[in-house]
Amino acid sequence: MPAFLETRDLKKHYRMGESTVRALDGVSIAVDQGEFIGLLGPSGSGKSTLLNLIAGLDRATEGALRVLGDDLAQMSSDALSRHRQRNVGIIFQSFNLVSTMSAAENVALSMMFAGVPRPERDRRAQELLEAMCLGGRQRHRPPELSGGEQQRVAIARALANRPRLLLADEPTGNLDSRTSAEIMALLTQLNERDGRTIMMVTHDAGLAQRYAHRTVTLLDGTVVAESHP
Amino acid sequence: MTIGDTVQLALRNLNQTKLRTALTVLGVSIGIASLAGMVSLGIGLQDQFVGRFTKSGVFDAITVMSAQDRPGVLASGLGLGAGQRGGARARGSSAAVPTKPRPRLDDDALRRIGALQRVKEVYPNLRVPVALSHERFAESYIATGVPMSARNEGAFQTFAYGAFFNNESENACVLSLDVAKQINERDPRDLVGKQVTLTWVASAAIAAGAPSAADNPLQLQHAEARYTVVGIVEREPGPGGLPGATPSGLMIPLARAREISAVDAGSLQSLFREPAQGKSYGSLTVKVTRPQFTGDAENQIKEMGFMAFSLNDALTGAKRAFIVLDIVLGLIGSIALVVSSLGIVNTMVMSILERTREIGIMKAIGGSDGDIRRIFLVEASVIGCAGGAAGVALGWLVGRVINFGANLYVQSQGGPTGNLFSLPPWLVGVAIGFAFVVSLIAGSYPASRAARLDPIQALRHD
Repeated sequence: MPAFLETRDLKKHYRMGESTVRALDGVSIAVDQGEFIGLLGPSGSGKSTLLNLIAGLDRATEGALRVLGDDLAQMSSDALSRHRQRNVGIIFQSFNLVSTMSAAENVALSMMFAGVPRPERDRRAQELLEAMCLGGRQRHRPPELSGGEQQRVAIARALANRPRLLLADEPTGNLDSRTSAEIMALLTQLNERDGRTIMMVTHDAGLAQRYAHRTVTLLDGTVVAESHP
Repeated sequence: MTIGDTVQLALRNLNQTKLRTALTVLGVSIGIASLAGMVSLGIGLQDQFVGRFTKSGVFDAITVMSAQDRPGVLASGLGLGAGQRGGARARGSSAAVPTKPRPRLDDDALRRIGALQRVKEVYPNLRVPVALSHERFAESYIATGVPMSARNEGAFQTFAYGAFFNNESENACVLSLDVAKQINERDPRDLVGKQVTLTWVASAAIAAGAPSAADNPLQLQHAEARYTVVGIVEREPGPGGLPGATPSGLMIPLARAREISAVDAGSLQSLFREPAQGKSYGSLTVKVTRPQFTGDAENQIKEMGFMAFSLNDALTGAKRAFIVLDIVLGLIGSIALVVSSLGIVNTMVMSILERTREIGIMKAIGGSDGDIRRIFLVEASVIGCAGGAAGVALGWLVGRVINFGANLYVQSQGGPTGNLFSLPPWLVGVAIGFAFVVSLIAGSYPASRAARLDPIQALRHD
């Protein structure tokens, strides 16, 4: 049985003028369904690059990357956008909500791209926001919401198309400690109760150790440490 | 992503930048208005020119004459002088003498020409010398036979007094204003409804066995009839197809002219022809169903061995000139449209710069390159269609204002009014369709630029 997610000797090189930046330089990891992985490392270690490759936002230079049995290197650009629609949900440090749309519209947007009919979209957006304790804030726009509320809207959006993999890039990076704890509790709940696989990038080793099943530490594009549960 | 969702999202985006969208739409509408205005000016001018000339009954008419050599002035006294002038005016080809035996222009030829395709009507140009008397006035005129189809054509479009013949068989005549003034200097209007007496030569024969030719060789018998004056026209109409022919101040229904000339021609003309030939006409007028068919019909008639010419070629040349004029006007109008399409490009590029991050977000949550491209193309085409519709309305409005102004001027100069600008329904459709296509072309570069954006770069954008 193929692994839920597997990378083999994954490389991502950028050309920066004369020199080549090796953002990822041969990463091989495997993730099982239902795991909560913490990706650790200082800035520039390549942890965000790895997350972007898994999300299908970027293409690897070399190596294999299989998610849910599909080889992302072989996918067309349209197939990658379907992968982003259905297989993964992404949560960003800076929330990345469309500021001119209401909370409900932001959540419905990802379902719009997936071709979900409007009545169902609206109903599901409402359900998700209520589940995130944002029932009364559906018509509010992101600038009218607090950081924690915005991140909960973003999580609702990430869940809209029922992906099996959640990718979180420093999800608490812009939040205070109390709100951070709320968001982390929410992610833990999604992992434990709903069985969603989560990969979370953070530079906060304490946070990763507290919530993740195991941690992978990157440095200069290679895996330098891997904790086992 | 469904089309409905794409349109909804695009409209929403446009709504967010109302002022900029409105200004861009205004730009497009000025471009379309100038294009539609210029083209409708071209169409209007053409309608004015061609319409007026087509109504004159000259351009759908062909004049047919026998190609046979005729004995100068003696040839029935009608049509020939005009025929020579007209023949000289026609191009070389029409004057070419056929090698076949020359057919005569008789009733049989009339039927054969009438049977040709696209020929609406054939009638002989009958001009009979008559004497007209009314009370103490008496003068000789050439009476022209006018077919009933000439109603509302040429000189019969407007009557100074009275109206056209009611039917073909009545003893009625129409006078030109000149002739009417000759009869009744002070009040020509008074003649309408009055009766005049026409007298003509009913038969003539060479007095057989006359001792000397100088001693009254012709025996003439006169006939006369009372004719009612039904109308008076301002100018003297030339016979159809022969604008250069001697105009006639006295017009009677064709059928009446035919009767008079039947008696007359059977005798007088036959004096100068071989007796076996019977009756023939000096010239015929052939009316075709549409002016553009004159060339065809003309050639067919020439193949039958007759001389034929029309003025349609002049009209064809004029129409060609109008096509060139339309293209030139269209190009001038297009300049504004090109400028406004650059406005669309500018607006869309600006919009993409502002919404780079939003595009990145949409891609990250599953929007495909195609989705993004379509959203921006729909935005551009909505601007284009709105601009097209507004532009047609604007062009129509400006055209109406200029029409109104021009007609005020023309009326003050005593000319006939008409529409300088004409906006036919097809032009409305073409203008909006054109705006749509132009906006799609203008939007295609920004849209594909948006579609190609790297989502990671776009998400870092502020």
